[in-house]
Amino acid sequence: MRRFRFGITARIVAVLAVLGVAVFPLYWMFVTALSSNSDLFADKPRLTPDLGQFGVFVDALAEGKAAGWLLNSLIIAVGTMVLSVGLGIPLGYALSRFSFWGKAVVTVVLLFTQMLPEALMVVPLFALFRRFELLDSLAGLILVNSAFVLPIVALILKGAIDGIPKELEEAARADGARPLTTLLRINVPLIAPSIAATAVIAFFHAWNEYVFAVTFIFNPDLQPASVGIANFIGELGTPIQTVMAVAFLFTLPAVAFYLLVQKYVVSGMTAGAVKG
Amino acid sequence: MTVVEQTGAPKTTPRAGARRRPSPLGSKWTPYLFLAPAALFILVFQAVPLLQEVYLSFTRTRLLNPTKSEWVGLDNFNRIFGDPEFHRTLLITIVYVITCVVVAIGAGLVVALLLNKKFRGRGVARALVTVPWAAPGIAVALIATWMLNAQYGIVNRFLDAVGLGVPGGSILDSPRYALPAVLATTIWQLFPFTSVVLLSALQSVPQDLNEAATVDGAGRWATFRAVTWQVIKPTVGLLALLMTIWSLRRFELIWLMTKGGPVGATETLVIDLYSQAFDSKELGSAAAIGMVGVVISLIVIIGSRLVARAVEKGDVR
Repeated sequence: MRRFRFGITARIVAVLAVLGVAVFPLYWMFVTALSSNSDLFADKPRLTPDLGQFGVFVDALAEGKAAGWLLNSLIIAVGTMVLSVGLGIPLGYALSRFSFWGKAVVTVVLLFTQMLPEALMVVPLFALFRRFELLDSLAGLILVNSAFVLPIVALILKGAIDGIPKELEEAARADGARPLTTLLRINVPLIAPSIAATAVIAFFHAWNEYVFAVTFIFNPDLQPASVGIANFIGELGTPIQTVMAVAFLFTLPAVAFYLLVQKYVVSGMTAGAVKG
Repeated sequence: MTVVEQTGAPKTTPRAGARRRPSPLGSKWTPYLFLAPAALFILVFQAVPLLQEVYLSFTRTRLLNPTKSEWVGLDNFNRIFGDPEFHRTLLITIVYVITCVVVAIGAGLVVALLLNKKFRGRGVARALVTVPWAAPGIAVALIATWMLNAQYGIVNRFLDAVGLGVPGGSILDSPRYALPAVLATTIWQLFPFTSVVLLSALQSVPQDLNEAATVDGAGRWATFRAVTWQVIKPTVGLLALLMTIWSLRRFELIWLMTKGGPVGATETLVIDLYSQAFDSKELGSAAAIGMVGVVISLIVIIGSRLVARAVEKGDVR
């Protein structure tokens, strides 16, 4: 009995330690944002947020460029989400429901793209963007981000469609429905949770993307938050509280949405990789 | 169910007037129509640029005059493989990747086993553990840099307080501690993913088998090896593959924390290729370095397929 109790206690301590490690850096970001200067540079740092400093979040959005950065990130992320899910649904459907010449090649290519680093592709893409005048445009970033997140979106949606019984579609087709109608009326509503998960993945892929944004955008007014925040690193002009406040506002939606659809994201990502 | 019954009827009574009855899946072109837009997209933004990079790797091309490239055959490859600094880059890449794979999966497994037992608040604990994985890489690089700040960073203050202060102060400026710090940050971001995936694999471990093994007098470790490990082995293999590929291509976390420094201590292949392209402005060498990374990834992927196939056949245990 004694040993059993000890086991429980040890487990609780271990779980709390893991949670502490997992959450502490973001907690510290929050605490730093809400520290007065005297706390920040004191010999003993304050370990809890000073809620009296809450105005830093308001100031971070009202002054400076942070609000504009976040708006640019939002535009890029929404565009990428719509485009990649819009292209990923038909691609996933084709891979799931049809057998056709070249299917194996398409699947291999989709998996292959997962290993290409953005840093490698940025040079030829820069040349392409210059030729088509996509430099310094949010639309250009939407296009390239969609292309990079599309394979994982399509593979997850293929897995989801695989899970729907074919009989439902056959009934609709026997009724004379065209494939596109079947897809939109029968399949799409049934895979809604997976579509939501891929939408979140695509949105935050673009929200977090840095390499293309920093290389293809020169106009400071078009910078997304990822680039703006990265420029804070090693820079000394901006108060660290403002830096952390902006970074926290940038991080919070990503964490919140991922937690919401976590289950589907994880099963989708592993299923996509296993089956290929 | 009602849908099926209602629409089942026309099957037996062919409609009048339907001259060209569509085959069950439309014409043979239908799948191509569905995938064409996506395929075009991937062709333009991934396939063509990749082929251009392959070409660039055999040329001498300067960033400042990229349209003028001179074919040099294997020169770029000969040069980088003859360069001791590139050997170090390869070594650092291998150390970085292997540490990420082993520690992220090991830590993930420990956390998954901890969270696999029922206890109050398990749902909250599972959600909170996911936080690092959901956080944007940029924000992670920023907070890690701040926490590791020489003067005011919480890590240095803590280390000083317990008498383990880093000589010279800054961890990220130390050739000795920079790579471990970058690794720790990377693994902090990765372990939630491995633990959540392993946790879902653990759900399918048959509990009665575990109990049977315990009743038979098997120790915990023996039970784990005989039952749990056998069930989660394919998942561990998959995670090892994903962690390898992701770690080979990881850029922004390392770049923003150290830019590959100090004196190349954290320079992985991707960092090396980026600085070749944009600092040294040598697109040809950069492309060649990139190709080395792509080939390593390909070897890992094909190798893992072969191993998986051998395991399925039962040749390897």
